[in-house]
Amino acid sequence: MSVAVEVRGAAKTFPASPAPVHAFGPLDLDVAAGSFVAIVGPSGCGKSTLLLMIAGLLDGSAGEIRVGGRPVRGPLTEIGIVFQSHVLVDWRDVLGNVLLQADLRGIPRAALEPRARELLRSVGLDGFATRRPYELSGGMQQRTAFCRALVHDPPLVLMDEPLGALDAMTREQLRSDLERLWMRTGKTVILVTHGIEEAVQLADRVVVISPRPGRIVREIEVPLPRPRTLEVCEQAEFHALVGEIRRLFASYGVV
Amino acid sequence: MAWSERLRRRAPGLLWAPGFLVLWEAIVRLLEVPLYIVPPPSAVLWQLWRNLPRIAHYTLVTGGETLGGFLIAVAAGVPLALAVAFSPFLRQTFYPAAVTLEMVPKIAFAPLFVTWFGFGYLPKLIIVFLVCFFPILLNGILAFSSLPLELRRLCASTGATALRMFWHVRLPAALPQLFVGFKGAAVNATVGATIAEWIGGDAGLGYYIQIATGDLRMDLAFAIIMVLALLGLALFGAVALVERLLLPWHVSQRLPPTTA
Ligand SMILES: Nc1ncnc2c1ncn2[C@@H]1O[C@H](COP(=O)(O)OP(=O)(O)OP(=O)(O)O)[C@@H](O)[C@H]1O
Ligand SMILES: [Mg+2]
Repeated sequence: MSVAVEVRGAAKTFPASPAPVHAFGPLDLDVAAGSFVAIVGPSGCGKSTLLLMIAGLLDGSAGEIRVGGRPVRGPLTEIGIVFQSHVLVDWRDVLGNVLLQADLRGIPRAALEPRARELLRSVGLDGFATRRPYELSGGMQQRTAFCRALVHDPPLVLMDEPLGALDAMTREQLRSDLERLWMRTGKTVILVTHGIEEAVQLADRVVVISPRPGRIVREIEVPLPRPRTLEVCEQAEFHALVGEIRRLFASYGVV
Repeated sequence: MAWSERLRRRAPGLLWAPGFLVLWEAIVRLLEVPLYIVPPPSAVLWQLWRNLPRIAHYTLVTGGETLGGFLIAVAAGVPLALAVAFSPFLRQTFYPAAVTLEMVPKIAFAPLFVTWFGFGYLPKLIIVFLVCFFPILLNGILAFSSLPLELRRLCASTGATALRMFWHVRLPAALPQLFVGFKGAAVNATVGATIAEWIGGDAGLGYYIQIATGDLRMDLAFAIIMVLALLGLALFGAVALVERLLLPWHVSQRLPPTTA
């Protein structure tokens, strides 16, 4: 199950002092149902803000956002979010943090526990189910938050740099897990990332955003075959796409 | 940690008290300090023993006021803190009033309460309640209004009802700061009860200490002070114990690193 996301003329200006901050927009974005879109852009260009607006957690200053054809008015609940700071709670262990989804939604724990354990296993945390977040490394905390965003099988998944604090090896592993999961379940995924390679490796389409106030400077289709194995990522076409995005960034003086 | 290792670590803390008492006894005896100025510990212990029935009875009186006032303050302070944290109206009206009242030394009301309510149990209970109520209320308001934004957003994205969110997120997140208030209140409670009895009581350790000092029976006074100290420690220790059991996950409760 999946839903389409349509962003029409959305913009956000924060009424901050001494001067209001124009974070991004107006911009248009279409994410087809079941597709995987990555958003890349320099720090502070409004990526997190846009994601929060899509989730209905933050009001925009202009424009309209539709999810599954319905305009977003308040917080969406048929959704899984990985926040930029992973917000785990110290009074619950790893499994308990993942099952916070069940408790907050009023779903019996038993109904979600098998899936929670399966997800934890898939990200290599099966031996850590009873550990508290403060006993984990930063990357392990992020993987826990990742599981919590997926455990209730939401049709739309928003991820704000979920692989940011991971080492190269785990990151590689998680990328392929994420791709496999996505290919199997056909969810709509919007991934915000700083990693250009990561975006090209995972996404059907990469949306490149300019420095603040963020606007879409280019949308790049990634026609590479799936699964995007290491061999695929060594192809000239992969490097050409990465190079194109990097040059865009350079033209803004970012890289 | 092994038992012997534990003992070795605690030893300095356990040894200073007997050492201090021996030193005190020696100095008082050597300098022949009169009993009505500073009594030796042996005399204090003797008085404690001789007056044990009365001291035990008064300990129950003072302990009852202390515990009673404390518990009523918890029962009233926590829900009220919750109400203030979530009601913009109460935040604008009640909260500033509470902060102002917090500045008033509550003990100044004690003579007034004696006039209104007599020498019995009630005025002491009110004083203890007052000195406990404000730390609990103010820390409670802080506790319930400082949930991190992204945690609130996570809850919103699950469509959680207010009750579920309170039970699974708000309450556990608030507990550490709530206990800051409880511990502050526990410290205030014994002080409040003692002084309230002192100012206008016909029973209790505060009342007894006034009689003892009035008769220049410093050995008895010291014995009562000792019991009061134990009473205060007991209440504080009980609160700290509940905190330890309830919040093993909190930063302040985690085992110290082995290198420390
Ligand atoms: N609550 C707020 N009040 C005022 N300004 C804000 C607020 N939140 C974000 N901003 C501003 O909006 C801009 C965009 O913020 P946002 O968090 O969306 O950036 P981002 O693209 O996610 O950056 P990063 O990659 O560093 O996470 C920033 O310049 C920031 O200063
Ligand atoms: Mg961000």
